[in-house]
Amino acid sequence: MIDIGANFVSELYKSLGMFIPETVLVVTFVVAIIMDLIFRKYKNIAAFTVLAGFFVTGYTLFACNSSGYAFSQTIAINPFSQFFKFIILLTSIIIVIISFLSKELYAENRKVGEYYSMIAGMTFGMFLICSSTNLILIYLALETMSLSSYVLAGYTKEVKRSSEASLKYVIFGAISSGIMIYGISIIFGLTGSFDLLAINAKIATGNLSIAPLLVSGIMILAGIGYKISAAPFHFWTPDVYEGAPITITAYLSVASKAAGFAVLIRFVLLAFATPISQTQPVWQVFAGIDWKLVLAILSVLTMTLGNLSAIWQTNIKRLLAYSSIAHAGYMLMGLVIMTSAGVLAILVYFFMYMLMNLGAFYIVMLIANKTGSEEMDDYIGIGYRAPILAGCMVVFLLSLTGIPPTAGFIGKLYLFMAVIDARWIWLAVIGVLNSVVSLFYYVKVMRNMFIRGTDKTEEPLQFSRVSIVIALILAGANIYFGLWFEPIVRWVNECVKSLF
Amino acid sequence: MDLFEIIFYFFAAIVLVSALVVVLSKNIMYSAFSLLFTFFGVAGLFVLLNADFVGITQIMVYVGGILVLIIFGVMITTKVTGVDIKEGISGKLQYAGAGIITLLTAIFLSLMFINGKWITGSSTDVHATIHQIGTLLMTKYILAFEAAAILLLIAFIGAALIGRRKA
Amino acid sequence: MNEIPQGYYLLLAGVLFTIGTIGVLTRRNAIIIFMSIELMLNSVNLTLVAFSSFFGDSSGQIFVFFVMAIAAAEAAVGLAIVLALFRLKKTIYVDEANILKY
Repeated sequence: MIDIGANFVSELYKSLGMFIPETVLVVTFVVAIIMDLIFRKYKNIAAFTVLAGFFVTGYTLFACNSSGYAFSQTIAINPFSQFFKFIILLTSIIIVIISFLSKELYAENRKVGEYYSMIAGMTFGMFLICSSTNLILIYLALETMSLSSYVLAGYTKEVKRSSEASLKYVIFGAISSGIMIYGISIIFGLTGSFDLLAINAKIATGNLSIAPLLVSGIMILAGIGYKISAAPFHFWTPDVYEGAPITITAYLSVASKAAGFAVLIRFVLLAFATPISQTQPVWQVFAGIDWKLVLAILSVLTMTLGNLSAIWQTNIKRLLAYSSIAHAGYMLMGLVIMTSAGVLAILVYFFMYMLMNLGAFYIVMLIANKTGSEEMDDYIGIGYRAPILAGCMVVFLLSLTGIPPTAGFIGKLYLFMAVIDARWIWLAVIGVLNSVVSLFYYVKVMRNMFIRGTDKTEEPLQFSRVSIVIALILAGANIYFGLWFEPIVRWVNECVKSLF
Repeated sequence: MDLFEIIFYFFAAIVLVSALVVVLSKNIMYSAFSLLFTFFGVAGLFVLLNADFVGITQIMVYVGGILVLIIFGVMITTKVTGVDIKEGISGKLQYAGAGIITLLTAIFLSLMFINGKWITGSSTDVHATIHQIGTLLMTKYILAFEAAAILLLIAFIGAALIGRRKA
Repeated sequence: MNEIPQGYYLLLAGVLFTIGTIGVLTRRNAIIIFMSIELMLNSVNLTLVAFSSFFGDSSGQIFVFFVMAIAAAEAAVGLAIVLALFRLKKTIYVDEANILKY
């Protein structure tokens, strides 16, 4: 029992001081709703409120340099969680900005106030996931994120496929979270605690029955795997990604995956492993469950299934959905080896993945705005009708494949180097083979844009100057970070150190 | 057989039978109403486990809230209460698959629960669950408590947003 | 304390979870699937309370409260989505929601 007294209150104040970014997000969420109610005439008032709130959050996140546990050790604020929060916040800001340009969102004079406040709420959920070290809080935060994403996926509710996507998402999501909490309840029965650190201490004694531990571990993994769309929990991804509004698809594919990876890394490394020593950057998995093998199987399945299914797709949103599954598979490789180099590679990869994936979805959105289609066949001749955007798309696709001098290459380079360093040669070979397969379907998009249909003489597509500038910025960032990646790696290095 | 055992088996029977009705009944209204009995049965088991407060909450939240919601959903969306179980080969295959998975899960879970080494502690003062729960909610889990408030707000707004007719 | 062994409660919860899984796997009606999910969540709650009560630690019961709150929220959002889809298609059978192929 915790004693309630002056001590507790001062502790609470200290915790609140470390919790400012999240507090700002909550305030943003509430203020956005209220502003939307008061100023009904201004359509985008909620959007600007949320954007302003995000910038304030970014500032507080930047200013907050204390690290440690807060709220009776239920959350941990450290550079590792800060990194993922930055990724999530950056994604949210980009998504809000590109949502202004989305045609399907503003079609039929729809009210969009709730859309933006939901994004703020979802960001809060993801922030919480990144730092929680208690299973109760992890579950709550995951559900906060999921509930808002169910709503966002079905936001254009008079569009049938959006409602269907949302229904599938909510049903499968509820099932997977049910399985996850069953796992949590078993782990509670084994160790008597929800705190990851206490669970770690208990598992370290080795005085536990193995079978329940394995089952509960896999059940929890199923819940988290659903969020990062790792096979075999990926089956919802293509449907939901195709049905949801494009901006939300992009958001789910980056931000909610980032949150999923943050909690996965924390859960596996904090509960089931221990650093060998302070100086040696390797984690030792406790006897009982061979987590490395479990994760390796998961990783191979995920990337192979994702890549092989992507080849047959004729809808570009589905193609990018499968490609995002494959990318989750690559990133899982970094966790398999359980070295600090591996975790570093995941973080670097994620930064690059954010740039390229958001860019690709952005171009898809712009083209769908004009042509009203996401089918691959409608991309024939786009290279001549919208040369600048098609050029940007090529950069993003090359980056997704991992070809130098783009950002994706750096991500893959660090990842494969880490895997090979850890002597998981077969895993690295499968990863490289998968990248080769992925080249095939990315090239198919490029071929449609530039090589096929040169004889077609359709009108060039007109885009507003702002939308082209944003596309150029994203494409430029892809190349910039492909060449000057040093600062990112240095920053990530600091973040990984905080995990020990 | 003493009183405790009789009560336990009574509630266990209620839970299992009504849960089976929920899942297997062809009439969706029967399913909804037998869900009521499942919730009551589980609440009874909670009380038997000295978790009186949780038991009461179970009745208030599940029966008073969730079940009413589900019954409204049934009434609004279903006109026909017909068969909705899959027919034909694919239906049979699905049944076979579900049966095998179920059997394996059940065997595995029972083995696990019989052989598992579970934590047991001093079963402490059983009259003070409300006090303990209140203290924990306001100290260690205060953040979770507040986060749950945000979650509920998001859910309310989201449900209203999706559920209403076109604005 | 009562004489029912802890294993009985756990087993009961396990069976309840399995029944819920059967419902999820075999039914096509979205609302019945939601009911089956509620069964799964109830079994989780039973497991947690059983552990918590035999261990003499209330944090298991705390978790039960959160599970209940989230179950209510999930049911509300889920049924709202079912309603929205019903307005469009007049069906709530999950596999008839098939514009998106598997």
